[in-house]
Amino acid sequence: MAVGRIEIMLCSGTGCVAGGAFRIKDAIENELAKRGLQNEVAIVPTGCNGFCGQGPLVVIKPDGIFYAWLKPEDIPFLVEEHFLKGRPVKKFMFVPREKKEPIPLLGDIPFFKKQMLVVLRNKGIIDAEKIDDYIARDGYAALEKVLTSMSPEGVIEEIVRSGLRGRGGAGFPTGVKWKICRGEKVTPKYLICNCDEGDPGAYMDRSVFESDPHSVIEGLAIAAYAIGASHGYIYARTEYPLAIKRMQTAIQQSREYGLLGESILGSGFNFDLEIREGSGAFVCGEETSLIHSIEGKSPEPRQKPPFPAQVGIWDHPTVINNVETLANVPVIISRGADWFSKIGTETSKGTKIFSLVGKINNTGLIEVPMGITLREIIYEIGDGIPGNRRFKAVQTGGPSGGCIPASLMDVPIDYESLVKAGSMMGSGGMIVMDEDTCMVDVAKFYIQFTNDESCGKCTTCRDGSEALLEVLTRITNGEGREGDIEFLEELGLAIKDASMCGLGTTLPNPVLSTIKYFREEYEEHIKYKRCPAVVCRGLISSPCQYMCPLHTDVPAYLTLTAMGRFKEALEVVRKTNPLPLICGRVCMAHCALKCRSKETGDALAVKEVKRFLTDWELNSGQYPQVVPLPKKFEEKVAIIGSGPAGLAAGYYLAQEGYPVTIFEKFPVAGGMLAVAIPEYRLPKKLLQLEIDAIRQAGVDIRTNSPVESIDALMEEGYKAVLVAVGAHKNRKLGIPGEEAEGVVDPITFLRQVNLGERSQTLGDRVGIIGGGNTAVDTARTALRLGSKDVTIYYRRTRAEMPAIAEEIEAAIEEGVKIEFLVNPTKVISDNGKLKSIEFIRTKLGDPDASGRKRPVPIDGSEFAVELDALLPAVSQDAEIPSGFGVELSKGGAIVTDKETLMTSRKGVFACGDAVTLPTDVTTAMSEARNVAELMHKYLRGQELAREYEPVRPSVVVEPIEMGEEEAATTRPQMIRLPADERRHTFEEVDLGYTEESVMKEARRCLRCDWELQKLRRKAAKDAQEVEEVPQVVEPS
Amino acid sequence: MPKLTIDELRKKRDEARKGIYLRDGEYRGKITVHLGTCGIAAGAREIVTTFLAEIERSGVKDIVVTTSGCAGLCSMEPMATVEMVDSPPVKYGKLDADAARRIFREHVLRGNAVAEYSLGVGSEKGG
Repeated sequence: MAVGRIEIMLCSGTGCVAGGAFRIKDAIENELAKRGLQNEVAIVPTGCNGFCGQGPLVVIKPDGIFYAWLKPEDIPFLVEEHFLKGRPVKKFMFVPREKKEPIPLLGDIPFFKKQMLVVLRNKGIIDAEKIDDYIARDGYAALEKVLTSMSPEGVIEEIVRSGLRGRGGAGFPTGVKWKICRGEKVTPKYLICNCDEGDPGAYMDRSVFESDPHSVIEGLAIAAYAIGASHGYIYARTEYPLAIKRMQTAIQQSREYGLLGESILGSGFNFDLEIREGSGAFVCGEETSLIHSIEGKSPEPRQKPPFPAQVGIWDHPTVINNVETLANVPVIISRGADWFSKIGTETSKGTKIFSLVGKINNTGLIEVPMGITLREIIYEIGDGIPGNRRFKAVQTGGPSGGCIPASLMDVPIDYESLVKAGSMMGSGGMIVMDEDTCMVDVAKFYIQFTNDESCGKCTTCRDGSEALLEVLTRITNGEGREGDIEFLEELGLAIKDASMCGLGTTLPNPVLSTIKYFREEYEEHIKYKRCPAVVCRGLISSPCQYMCPLHTDVPAYLTLTAMGRFKEALEVVRKTNPLPLICGRVCMAHCALKCRSKETGDALAVKEVKRFLTDWELNSGQYPQVVPLPKKFEEKVAIIGSGPAGLAAGYYLAQEGYPVTIFEKFPVAGGMLAVAIPEYRLPKKLLQLEIDAIRQAGVDIRTNSPVESIDALMEEGYKAVLVAVGAHKNRKLGIPGEEAEGVVDPITFLRQVNLGERSQTLGDRVGIIGGGNTAVDTARTALRLGSKDVTIYYRRTRAEMPAIAEEIEAAIEEGVKIEFLVNPTKVISDNGKLKSIEFIRTKLGDPDASGRKRPVPIDGSEFAVELDALLPAVSQDAEIPSGFGVELSKGGAIVTDKETLMTSRKGVFACGDAVTLPTDVTTAMSEARNVAELMHKYLRGQELAREYEPVRPSVVVEPIEMGEEEAATTRPQMIRLPADERRHTFEEVDLGYTEESVMKEARRCLRCDWELQKLRRKAAKDAQEVEEVPQVVEPS
Repeated sequence: MPKLTIDELRKKRDEARKGIYLRDGEYRGKITVHLGTCGIAAGAREIVTTFLAEIERSGVKDIVVTTSGCAGLCSMEPMATVEMVDSPPVKYGKLDADAARRIFREHVLRGNAVAEYSLGVGSEKGG
C-alpha cells in the first residue's frame, strides 16, 4: 500500500458491531473510493475502544480525533469535510453532558483521561486480525526475551515479584500458582486460559480477545514455558463468536510464524493451543468444573485440595489463568516486575479492567490502576448518574460479589478492601445503581441467577439458593414476615460454609451485603410493605398509585376516562379521596414523580384529568349529594383545625359512625386551602362546595371557634381529640435587621387577602425569599394587588425549586421575576423602616443529605436591592397553644407515636402539618385516614396498632390498546387565562382540559399495574380462588 | 510462511512498525496542507499527493501529512505548514509540486527551511 496520511481506527468490538460498525466501514470505503482517497486514507478495524455507550465510533489517526454515534448517512459529509478538506467535523464529536462544546481529541475526554492501559495497551491501535500489528507494538518481544535469556524459574520469580494476582476474581498470586505446578513431578503439565465469562454485565475477557488476542497467546506461551507445559486449552463460551473467531485467526497466524508449535523461534520449546467452547453454564467458570467440561464430563466441581496446579486436567498438574491475568504477563516480562509493582496498592498490583454499566452516564470498559476510588470511577470516568439522581451503590464481582454503598465511595479499590466491604473483585463487572434501584430486588435478581446456575451437586447451594429466592420473592410480593432478615442471614452463612465450590460459597454475598448496608430497606418491605425505590410490583402495584399518599387507583381511573366513562372514573377517585375537587386543582401530584412515561416524554397529567372529571360532574349537574350515615357510636370526637387533615379525618370518622365536631379558629373552614392558597388557584365556591359535602356527611364544622385547652373539650364530653391545627407561623430568615417595618409575614399577608382584603399594601417593589409554593403564591398575589416589580429570590436554581413547576411557569408569564443562586445576608433599614436587602451570590456545591446540591456563598459577591416590602417565605412552623398540654419537638411540632399517632396525652391524637411541618394536601389527608382508623380503635378499646398493607388495585379495568397517536409522549397544553388579564384579577387561571384532550391524554397511560394484576389473576386461578379476584369491568 | 527465527522476528517487528507509525502519535515532523475551498481550487490536492509520494520515495517513517481548513490567506494558496520537532513551524505559500518536493527534501529531510516559499515562521495561536 502506498503511504497514507490518515488511518481510521474503527471500533469493531461486539458492541459497536451490533451498533452497525461494519455498515459504517462500508460507507466510508465507498465514499473514499468516490473521492479517490482510498490510497491516502485507510480503515483499521480494531477491538473494543471501551467507550461502548458512544458507538459506533472511530478514532482518526494521527490526530486522535474521536467521532461518536456515527450513522452511515453521516459518512459522505465526514469524508468530504475531514478527509478531503481537512476540517474535523464538530457535530460528530463527543459532547460532554451539560456542555455545548465538543471535545475533539480522544485523549482529552475525561472518560479516557483517568485510565491507565496495561492490559489494553493495544486497544484501538492495532487490527486484532493482523499479527504484524501486534508485533509492531513490541508483540512477542517478551516471549523472545524469555526464550533467549530467562530460565523457567527466572520467569516465575519475575511474576512472583511483580505481585500479579489472578484477575478472575479470587486474586490468588499468579507466580505462586505457577511455582506449585512447576514443582509437581507428574508430566505432561497443562495450561488453561479461562474465558468463561458469565457475570451479568461483564465483558472484559471478551474485549481482550476481540482487541488483542495475541497478548493472551503470548502470555500463555510464557506461562507454558515457566511451568513446563506444551499443550494449552482456551476455554471460551460459545456465546462469544466474534471473540472466538479472532482468537482462532490469531492462533493460526502464530502457528504460521512459528510462535506456536514445535521449537518456537528455534528455541526447542514446544507449545500449542486449542480452543474449547463451553455452552455458557456459569459454574464452568469454576476451575474444577471447567476441567470436567473439557474432559467431556458433567461440569460439576470437585473438592479442593488437591488444587488443579497439583491434580488438574486428565489428572495432570494444570495451571488455570484468567484472560486478563495472562494478558498482563508479556508486559511484566518486557517492562519488569519493578515497573509493574509500582502500580497499585500494597497488596494489589497493576491495573484492573472493569465493565462500567448500569445507571451511569458513560457506559463502557475501563482499565484503571488498583487503588482508584469508586468516586473517581463513577464521577470522573463515568460522569455521574443520569438525570442527576442519587448514587446508591455499586455491585462488583457479579453474582458472587456484593453491593458497595455510596458511603464507601472513597475507599481505594483493591482485592482486600472489596472483600472487607462484603464484596469481591470478581472478574470486574461494575453495575452502578441509583436511588431508583431496590436493593431487595437486586438481591433477588442475583439469587434467581445463581439458583438457575447452581449445578446441583451441593444441597446447600441447590436448595439453599431456592430457599433464599423463596423468601426474597415473598418479601418483594408484600408477604414478608418478621424474622425473614435473620433467616436470610443465617441461611446465607450456612450456604457459604457448607458449599464446595466458589459458586455456592459466594452466592449469598448479594443478599448478605445488601442486608449489611440496606437493612432498613428490607425492613421497609417486610414491616411497612413499602419499596422506597418504587420497584417491587408486588408492593407498589404501579408507581403512581404507590406514590399517591392516598394510593388512589390512578391507572384504573385513567383508563375509564380514556373510555369516556367519567362517572365510573370519579367513583374510583372517591374510593380514596373525599376532596377530589380540591385535589384536582392544588395537589402536588406525587403520582407524576415516578411515572414511567417520563422516560420517554411527559408524566401523565393525572391531576388535570381528575380536575376535568370533577368539572364535568359539576357542569352536568351530577355533583353527588352525600347521604349521612347513621351514627353508630355515642362517643363524641373533637377535631381542632379544618384544613385538609381535619376535614378528611372528620369525614372518615363520620363514615365510621361517630359524631364529629371540627373547631376552626378562622372565620372560614379549610385551613391553608382557605387562607393561604389564593383564589386564582382554588376558587372559594368550589372549596366551600366540598367542605359542604363533608358537612353533609355528618361533620359539624364550627368556624370562629378557637380552642385553647383540651381539658375544656374533654369536660364537654369529647372522648377523643384530634389536633390538626397545621403550621401557620411563618419562619424567620435569621438574618440581622429582620424586625424592620416593611418585612411582612407572607402567611399573614395571604390570609388577609384570602379573607377579603384587596387593597395594595406592599408598595411597588416587592421581594420574596424562598422557592416553594408559598413564595410563588405570595408573588402572584402581590402582582394582582398592583405591585409593579415583584421578584422571588432563591438560593438554588430552577431545577431545585420545590414549588409546582406549572405555577412557576405561570408566575413568570405574569411578570414575576426570579433571581436564582442568591441568599439574603442582612436587611438594611432607615429609621426602623425597610430600605434594602443585601444578598450574596451562591453556586451549587456537592449534594447535601436530601440529595439536592448545597448552595455555597461566593465571597465578595454581595449586592443590595432596594425594596418597599420583603416577604420571607422559606417555611412555616406549628404554633401549639400551651393549654393543649402535649409534648412538642424542639422545632415546635407535635410529637406523636409512630405506630399509634397518639400524642403524649391519652386520647389526644395529632396529624397533618402540626406534626410533620409543611407538607401538602394529600399527605395530610393520608395521615388523617390513618389517624381516623386508630382513633376508632382507641374508642372501641382495641389494640392501637397500625396495619400496613401493600398497595393493590381497587378495581380491575382491562387496559385499552394504544395506537400510535395515543403514544404521543407529551401532555396537552393547559388552557390558561391570558397572562395580561390575570394580573388584575383573582379569577381562576387554569381553565382545564377539553373532553377530547383529556381522553387522549388518559390513553397514554402505560398501565404499569397490569403486570401485577395479571400475576394475581393467574395465581388466584391456580389456587381456585377465582371469587376473590375483583370483578372485571369490561370495556364498553 | 516459514517459521521465524529470533532475528527474523526482530526484522519483522522493525518492518511492521513502519506500518503503524501514524497511530503511535510519535513523529518527527508534521506537514499540514491547507485544504480549504481556496486551497483545493488552487491545487492543494496535488501538493498532498506530492508530499505522500516523497515520503514513500524517501522511505522515512516519522513524518505525517495532515490537512486543515483555510488558513485565511487565500491569495497565497496552495499553502502548507511544516512543523519539525524542536523547531518553530514554517508556513509556505504559492506552492506547486516542484516546490513541495524541494521543501520536503531540503526542510523536512535536512532541516533547512526554503526561504523562497516561506511566508513566515510561527503559527497562529488559538483553536
